[in-house]
Amino acid sequence: MSQANQIKGKIMEELKYIGKSFPRIDGKEKVTGAAQYVDDLEYGPNLLHTEIVESTEPFAKIIKIDTSRAEKVPGVVTVITGKDFPYKFGLYMKDRYIMAQDVVRFVGEQVAAVIARDPKTARRAAKLVKVKYEPLTPVFDQMEAIKKNPILIHPDLGEYTHVPWFYPKAKTNIAHWKKVRLGDMEKGFAEADVILEDTYHVPRYAHCCMESHIAVGKLDQADRLTVWSSSQSPHTQRHLFAEALAPLGFTHKDIRVITPFIGGGFGGKAGVTMEILAAAFATKVKGNPVKVRWTRAQEFYNTYMRQAVLSKLKMGAKKDGTITAFEISNYWDAGPYVEYGANVVNASGLSAAGPYRIPNVKIDSLCIYTNLPAAGPYRGFGYSEMMFGVESHMERMAQKLGMDPVEFRKKNAFKGGDLLVYGAPMNANGFDECIDRVAEAIEYGKKAVSEDPNKVIGKGIAGAWKGPAMPPNASSSAFLKFSEDGSINILVSGIDMGQGYLTVMAQIAAEILTVPVEKIRTENPDTDRNAYEWQTVASHVTWSCGNAVKRAALDAREQIFETVHAAYLYDKSTLYLEDECVKCTIDPEFSLPLKDFVIDGIMVKDGTFRGGPILGKGMFMPEFSSTKSDPETSQGGKPNVHYTVGAGGLIIEIDKETGKVKVLKVAEAFDVGKAINPDLVNGQILGGFMQGLATALYEDMRFGENGEILNPNFTDYKIPTALDIPDEIIPIIVEVPQNDGPYGARGIGEHTMIPVMPAIANAVEDALGIRIKSMPITAEKIAMAIKAGVKEVD
Amino acid sequence: MKKMITFTINGELRSVEVEPNDILLHILRDKLGVTSPKIGCERGDCGTCTILLNGKSVRSCLMLAVEADGQEIITVEGLSDDGLTPLQDAFIKHNSFQCGFCAPGMILAATELLEKNPHPTKGEVKEAIAGNLCRCTGYEPIIEAVLDVSSQSN
Amino acid sequence: MAIAHEFEYFKPESLEEAVKLKARYGDRARLLAGGTDLIVKINDELESPEAVIDLKGIKEMKRLEFKDGRLFIGPLVTFSELIDSPEVREKFPLFIEAAETVASGSIRNRATLVGNICSAVPSLDSGTPLLTYEAEVIARGEDGERTIPIAEWFVGPKKNALKEGEIVVGVSIPEPPKKHGGCYVKLGRYRGEDLAQVGVGILALEGNEYRVAFCAVGPIASRADKIEKLLQGKKLDNGLIEEAIKLVPEEIAPIDDIRATGEYRMHMAGVMLGRGLRAAVARLNGQGPEYGISVI
Ligand code: FES
Ligand code: FES
Repeated sequence: MSQANQIKGKIMEELKYIGKSFPRIDGKEKVTGAAQYVDDLEYGPNLLHTEIVESTEPFAKIIKIDTSRAEKVPGVVTVITGKDFPYKFGLYMKDRYIMAQDVVRFVGEQVAAVIARDPKTARRAAKLVKVKYEPLTPVFDQMEAIKKNPILIHPDLGEYTHVPWFYPKAKTNIAHWKKVRLGDMEKGFAEADVILEDTYHVPRYAHCCMESHIAVGKLDQADRLTVWSSSQSPHTQRHLFAEALAPLGFTHKDIRVITPFIGGGFGGKAGVTMEILAAAFATKVKGNPVKVRWTRAQEFYNTYMRQAVLSKLKMGAKKDGTITAFEISNYWDAGPYVEYGANVVNASGLSAAGPYRIPNVKIDSLCIYTNLPAAGPYRGFGYSEMMFGVESHMERMAQKLGMDPVEFRKKNAFKGGDLLVYGAPMNANGFDECIDRVAEAIEYGKKAVSEDPNKVIGKGIAGAWKGPAMPPNASSSAFLKFSEDGSINILVSGIDMGQGYLTVMAQIAAEILTVPVEKIRTENPDTDRNAYEWQTVASHVTWSCGNAVKRAALDAREQIFETVHAAYLYDKSTLYLEDECVKCTIDPEFSLPLKDFVIDGIMVKDGTFRGGPILGKGMFMPEFSSTKSDPETSQGGKPNVHYTVGAGGLIIEIDKETGKVKVLKVAEAFDVGKAINPDLVNGQILGGFMQGLATALYEDMRFGENGEILNPNFTDYKIPTALDIPDEIIPIIVEVPQNDGPYGARGIGEHTMIPVMPAIANAVEDALGIRIKSMPITAEKIAMAIKAGVKEVD
Repeated sequence: MKKMITFTINGELRSVEVEPNDILLHILRDKLGVTSPKIGCERGDCGTCTILLNGKSVRSCLMLAVEADGQEIITVEGLSDDGLTPLQDAFIKHNSFQCGFCAPGMILAATELLEKNPHPTKGEVKEAIAGNLCRCTGYEPIIEAVLDVSSQSN
Repeated sequence: MAIAHEFEYFKPESLEEAVKLKARYGDRARLLAGGTDLIVKINDELESPEAVIDLKGIKEMKRLEFKDGRLFIGPLVTFSELIDSPEVREKFPLFIEAAETVASGSIRNRATLVGNICSAVPSLDSGTPLLTYEAEVIARGEDGERTIPIAEWFVGPKKNALKEGEIVVGVSIPEPPKKHGGCYVKLGRYRGEDLAQVGVGILALEGNEYRVAFCAVGPIASRADKIEKLLQGKKLDNGLIEEAIKLVPEEIAPIDDIRATGEYRMHMAGVMLGRGLRAAVARLNGQGPEYGISVI
């Protein structure tokens, strides 16, 4: 290598911005109150307010809606019912209408809406809307719903449109049935020395973003529809609005979705839920913006909550710890609308056997309609739910085999290149390192004794994995432009719902263009202006949009070199960037600051200019992904672009009289490929762990006789406070690079909550000898089990 | 029956016409353009609507606007005349927020604590912010920021 | 969500004026002190008063004073003010221990003790210390003032002994005649703010005298007479505690609700009674956990 190339090579190797914990670029806005969320924007004095009339019945025919009295209230602009919008919508399956048509399917479903000049009038008038129902017999339990001759929640299911990888069963309540078949089950179980069979139950949970869902729609006099929404998916929303409102003449060009900062997402703001109301209502009140803001209670029952799952597991293993067969049936209670939730069932169905290499596998993952509120995506996308059973079962199997649970997991864990249950290869990964480091951090295997005679200490560990669940052609794109001072705006459409995406994108551009992170802004989405992004879900934007931004930055760099070449005639291969300047390997004197030309170009001898505004663009679509597979076996295709793996372990102390659990120490390790910003990764570990811990110990959703949620508030749905955090959390970052990720990175946002539920259950058993097979593990559940002297709790 | 009320908000005396059933949080946001107090639960459970009323943290969703007549209110917009307070700086340094929706309320609750008790223990910090829910951070980075400020002051 | 219900708002500047207004509206008026309870109820449409009478203009209602062996707490005294008073903390430590478990700091900055007892919810944290300290509620109506012993104050779930037109003007608490130690034990679903699923307040006075009260395990907060009778005059030991715990089912009638089952509440009431007695006695003797440290 020439000396020149060595200089260049050295600069290329040393990462200046990647792998460093830069402060968040949205920091100042967020600590000063400057950060604007949808409800903080000004919509002007003609803003209208909405109050929804909700179904009081879990399942009923709508006989009559009388809006006449409400319409007469002064200040009411209009009253809308389902019949105003007889249009279906849905991301993966079109099974719901904008508002209920002839049938309501859960308590809280939108039946009518009052739109008024002020919120008080809307609320008063909504009480005057009278709805007459003819009740039908509801079904709240998913196992009930799949019994013979069930009551059909969607009698027309067979006619619904859906993505090609869904298999609804007409004339049943099964909206999708994902099957995986590998090997020979009979043979697998015959080879086993030990067979363990049991059932696990994970109930529903709520996302509890601090900002509830909100959307404002405005149709202007020129028929342009703008929707401001708190969303993880502005482009997908535009697309679904355009599809649903096509009968009214809307096309994509007529619709603009703007998403400022959002106050948390956790999957709850993926796709479209209530935002469609703002889009639709706006068409009835042309010229007036109309706001639909969910109350905290509506946030619980009328967006999506997390689906419940009942897992029946049967595992066979040999004495040496080799798993020979794993049979899994996951029955998902998805509520009455599964347009997004069915994909949770699908994705987690493919991976329901966990991160383990097993020759004989049978998975059935059933998405079942019920008359509880609609359920769907939630941080972990099915894995947080179903891994409770898998990792509880793994632990118990290890015990039965008399093996160290860590060794048992490692022995069976997928290594890079191993074939997954559907035939595609597993990516290189650091599962072993993750679980080893977690075990080491909590001194797993070493018994600890409490100083308090009333208390016992237990340790638990669990593995985790998850792949992004997305269509094979889900893509990201980015624009990157300069200003006169050499600062940069990156125009992308991912959402920073807290994870630090804006900052990470800036770091990636900084690395390529040598412009400091402080000089880069990453803009929140506006579908008119920013480049396309499918959605910010699936823990995939760092990976996918990161690739797009990297390409946009490389594109910009190429244009920069082009310009310099045109003006100074240096060969492009001799040019490189350093400290915001273009430099040249063969002319050490040469150093041209970017700010001197990225807008204005470079003047040459004759007074003319070369170059012009630099405008980079980049795109990324995983061209290797495919969902084409055999519907009966799922063999073929490459539906998951990669998996992120990891493990969690914890030490808990349990008061034997009260049942109260105190978490003394936690360690979580994840293989993120490359931590572009380690502090932000740690933030995901801390936050995700706490969210997982809350689902394991505290959050306890209750339903009444009509399937109505009884605790749609923080008074009785307990999410943790600062007093409830563990004494110590140790985040551990493992880095086995993802070859197609930006600088080797892969996603981490969702994964951190996945190991927590089983790790808690495993630790409880370690401490007390009681195996709890249902979530949540409340103090009451533990205390009552101890009192009853039982060894297992269903 | 409308009523004119006058109070000091972030150092400025402002008047606004309200009805008896108007909630202070809504008046601050919709009539005065002070949007850092957020709507989180509207029943006193979450703390996103926190303001400082005569120096004490209170929930503006549980106050009628008329109750603010003659009082002094501070929100994060008015915490400092020049630049950021040490606590705001520490919030940035420690990544003490993610989505940021809880941050204004959290900062006010912690500001009240540090005024009263410049060198709190970890337990006291937890107690002081226990009424402010954060779904994103797991709280540890928030506690670190407050303790950091405490260790820098004397 | 905006409050749709309309009401009139009054802010009287004297007690007389307030009493008159209350007499005029009777049950159709609600008194506003901290508002932390009332505003939620109006918003949820559980209450629809015609008038809201804000007491915060009445200076004398802010009175917090210890005089002649009694603590007087005016209707505008907030929980934070009580907690911040060194005198109250020193003389009524059990009361402060309970007050510190009420909601969270920024609620306690507004919420008042009098408002809390007027709500008379079965789970109120201030109920058991007031019962064990044998407080009195002073009410004023157009016919004058009367004193209601706290034991007669709670008459049913969310019902107090106030007559129509009456206003509480204060709570008066006598300092216990002897040196005492106390313990408030509260069962919540986690360590963060929660409504009590069981509350036990215990006072142990010199000379083996005990006072015990429960909340959240029956329609009203009340003293546990049988348990007290058993304990009276006896030195606390494990055997005695066992016997006391056995009496718990005779004292309380916990129900199932979404917060806890009656069965768990019953179990916990026993555990809490035992640990609370131990802590109260230890504190009396200058030992045991510091006040504020939960024993469960
Ligand atoms: S909005 Fe006021 S406490 Fe939640
Ligand atoms: S940062 Fe999102 S709620 Fe705290």
